[in-house]
Amino acid sequence: MSDEKSKWINRLLVLIALTMASVYLFPLYWMFVTSLKTGSEVFATPPALWPEIAQWVNYQDVWQSKNMARYMGNSLFIATGVMLITCLLGTGCAYVLARYRNFWIDVGLFLILMLQVLPASLMVTPLFVGFNQLGLLDYPRIAVILAFSAKTMPFFIVLVRATFMSVPYELEEAALVDGNSRVGAFLFIVLPLARNGILVCAILIFMQAFGEFVYAKSMIQDAQLQPASVGLNTFMGPNTVEWNRIMAYSMMYVLPILGIFILLQRRIVAGLTSGALK
Amino acid sequence: MGNIFKSFTATVLLSSSIIAANAMAEDVTITIWSLDSDVQPAQVFAKEFSELDNGIKVNYRRIQFDDVVSESMRAFATGKSPDIIAVDNPEHALFSSRGAFLDITDKVAASSAINADNYFKGPLNSVSWEGKLYGVPKATNTIALYYNKDLFKKAGIAKAPGTWDELLSAARTLNDPSNNVYGLAFSAKASEEGTFQFLPWAQMAGGSYKNINQPGVVKALDVWKTLLDEKLASPDTLTRGQWDSTGTFNAGNAAMVISGPWELNRMIDEAKFDWGVSLLPVPKKGAQRSSAMGDFNYAIFSNSKHPDAAFKALEYFAAQDHRLFPEFGQLPARSDITIPETGIALKDAALKVFLEQLKYAQARGPHPQWPKISKAIQDAIQTALTGGATPKAALDLAATKIAAVIK
Amino acid sequence: MRALLASLRDGRGFDISLISITMTFLLLFCGVPLIYNAIMSFQEVDIFNLNTFIRPWVGFDNYRALFADATTLPIFYNTLVFVFFSIAGQFLVGFALALFFSLKFSGSTYLRGLFLVSWVMPGLVVGAIWNWILSGDFGILNHVLKYIGVISDNIFWRSDIHFSLWAVIIANIWLGTAFNMILLSVGLAAIPNDIYEAAQLDGANAIQRFRTITLPMMRATIGAVVSLGLIFTLQQFDLFAAITSGGPANSSNVAQYRAWEMSFKEYDFARGATISVLMIGVVMIASIIYVRSTKQEIRG
Repeated sequence: MSDEKSKWINRLLVLIALTMASVYLFPLYWMFVTSLKTGSEVFATPPALWPEIAQWVNYQDVWQSKNMARYMGNSLFIATGVMLITCLLGTGCAYVLARYRNFWIDVGLFLILMLQVLPASLMVTPLFVGFNQLGLLDYPRIAVILAFSAKTMPFFIVLVRATFMSVPYELEEAALVDGNSRVGAFLFIVLPLARNGILVCAILIFMQAFGEFVYAKSMIQDAQLQPASVGLNTFMGPNTVEWNRIMAYSMMYVLPILGIFILLQRRIVAGLTSGALK
Repeated sequence: MGNIFKSFTATVLLSSSIIAANAMAEDVTITIWSLDSDVQPAQVFAKEFSELDNGIKVNYRRIQFDDVVSESMRAFATGKSPDIIAVDNPEHALFSSRGAFLDITDKVAASSAINADNYFKGPLNSVSWEGKLYGVPKATNTIALYYNKDLFKKAGIAKAPGTWDELLSAARTLNDPSNNVYGLAFSAKASEEGTFQFLPWAQMAGGSYKNINQPGVVKALDVWKTLLDEKLASPDTLTRGQWDSTGTFNAGNAAMVISGPWELNRMIDEAKFDWGVSLLPVPKKGAQRSSAMGDFNYAIFSNSKHPDAAFKALEYFAAQDHRLFPEFGQLPARSDITIPETGIALKDAALKVFLEQLKYAQARGPHPQWPKISKAIQDAIQTALTGGATPKAALDLAATKIAAVIK
Repeated sequence: MRALLASLRDGRGFDISLISITMTFLLLFCGVPLIYNAIMSFQEVDIFNLNTFIRPWVGFDNYRALFADATTLPIFYNTLVFVFFSIAGQFLVGFALALFFSLKFSGSTYLRGLFLVSWVMPGLVVGAIWNWILSGDFGILNHVLKYIGVISDNIFWRSDIHFSLWAVIIANIWLGTAFNMILLSVGLAAIPNDIYEAAQLDGANAIQRFRTITLPMMRATIGAVVSLGLIFTLQQFDLFAAITSGGPANSSNVAQYRAWEMSFKEYDFARGATISVLMIGVVMIASIIYVRSTKQEIRG
């Protein structure tokens, strides 16, 4: 293949990728444009691709009137908690599930997925009743962290288990022969090798938890402790659907995660596709 | 140095005196849940009441319309309920019939701030159960017909439609697909909003939730079906709430809209045309009028630890009822309050119509199983409008379901 | 005692303790609610006796009542359509993108990252945006389709019984593509390049290589993706709430949304629970797919 030809193919591929990306990202753009419109402009037919006068004031308005800083802080707290618990509890389990291959492992894998039958909206009532009896509802953010960690766990375990699968078994065996205990071999040999994959999964879990809504809405009654998703929901009353401000709020809500994401995305993709899993 | 020392002692003295004052007053904290935002009455009044120097502090939580019942019932079942809740009026009986709300009949009788006789019949009916009072109406509202006067003039229609036939023919004339204008906007959503909008039509035709399949009601659903079949109203009427429907009217994409007084402030801000409000059209000239009765009630939970403090809060709220319209654009549920003119011509004219319409407002229920009754009605509306069954068959099915519920 | 400690540090005990802590956690926070729901489906429940386990026992009455209801079967049918087409769509789009980006052109990792955006968006926000895009009169999707001449009249995505379920499926495909693409990319990257090169030398064309190398090597990944996708799809709730609320006339209603409606709209918790128990069947299939697919894995 000549250099000239491969250059053109490369350009063509980039062009196709850009086109697909712009189609795929359109909802995000639409969110942005809607956030800059006035209340009635939102309902105009045909819809405008850009507002007559961009209403940047929507952002300032929403940030202040909705106490967004506080909401975001709580989201951060919950997301961090969920991420930590999921990693702490999920990693070891994933390691064991990857290490063996027998009937009981199959049962374990089966159960982990099976337990996810119920959508959060149906889990919340039993959990609420149970947490109330345990007194956990006095620490509502912790309650949400525990409940949501149980929801994110299977995803984490499935992915991290795959990561462990790619760590050659011989390395662990060699460590054991060298006199390491199982704990030592796990902590100092296997874990470092799987580090990238675990980190990436942790970030993905963090992002999911940042948007958690159903549990937080029911379990956290004190507005001081509610995350941004619940704050967003306060816009959506029967007589108060202010789409432009909802979208402005949403923009500010997703921007930080989007920011982290854009900064880290190369590592996320690389971590998942090459580093960890070969 | 001396200054620092002085200010230090001052601080100590000050803070110890605050502690002493607190200890003496022994503040009671009550919790209030309502859907009002920080610029709406419940939250504003709660804040004011909390700041009064009466030893009662208020902890306010805002909950969403859809969550009011499930959240508060769950809280009640687990002993975590608030002291005061604002609940939508058709759902009041669900709680009072089960003893979840406090019977405040005696407290009201002894109160100088709340007088049951001052309230409109419909709202008062919704807080009553078997002759006892289980709450106080928070505000009231109803629905009427808004119309775009500019579009009416252009189409050569002299006045707002008074009957269903006139409504249909006006909608046909005003309907202008090439300019993205629908004749009418309303909400037939499969939620309480759909029931809220449909029941007035049923009642005007002589029906009610107890006989939802009688011929007049079938006729009403026929009219709705015609509106949708001929695309005189947007097909999204089926999935859109009242607020979004009215948004299309404000943007000039619908010539008429059926909605309530909660829209007045927004419409004055956003509508760039001349508009008016008219009573809901009736089946035929001279037929009885009817409308929906909306809005919330306050109630005290029966397991409240501070029922007296909670009742004081209700008394304070009731004493602010005269501020509801001037400050918040809401209608007090009371006949003894005359609403002052706002000086905004459009708003004052509209208000007159709404007050007139309010005279015909009927409460939904009260019935402890209202959500199920309402769901049967919503299902009938949706099946008929999407062509799943004829209006008659759909309403017959609803009647059977409702009969099973009310027995 | 010492043997126990030694085993914890250095033997089976280590494995068992790692796995049992997590399993206890999951059983407590997922298993117990599940059992609670299963029990409720045999009881008469209203919200006032939510806090106790002792409630009137009604046997299979809730199940009978559910199947006597004419709306139930169409709702289960909708659920199958929703799950099948969502997964098929997510998977095909995700796989196509993963293959495309495995071509390694300049900036391919960076551009691939952009497709992960739907993962970071909270469900509530995604629902709100799609509600807005799919709206009939002022939705941008109709506007675009009309502009490029695909349709001449607006499609009422949310309100036309023929389209409402598809409206949610479209949004769900968008939402799930990121997850499918990234997992499948991982699987693709794990296939050693020399296998392809050897096949190319043997004269296999691209399609043959895909069928004889890529697909078989990807079995484990595909199993994981499909089974996780199945579970995510079956739990999809936000999109229904935001776009169609299951309407009109239940045309886009699915089991998980109906179960919520029963519980929190009609306050019939027992029947809500009954539906969720029936959903166990579907998740069981997902779990079996996953467990079977792990048998295809090749240890690194």
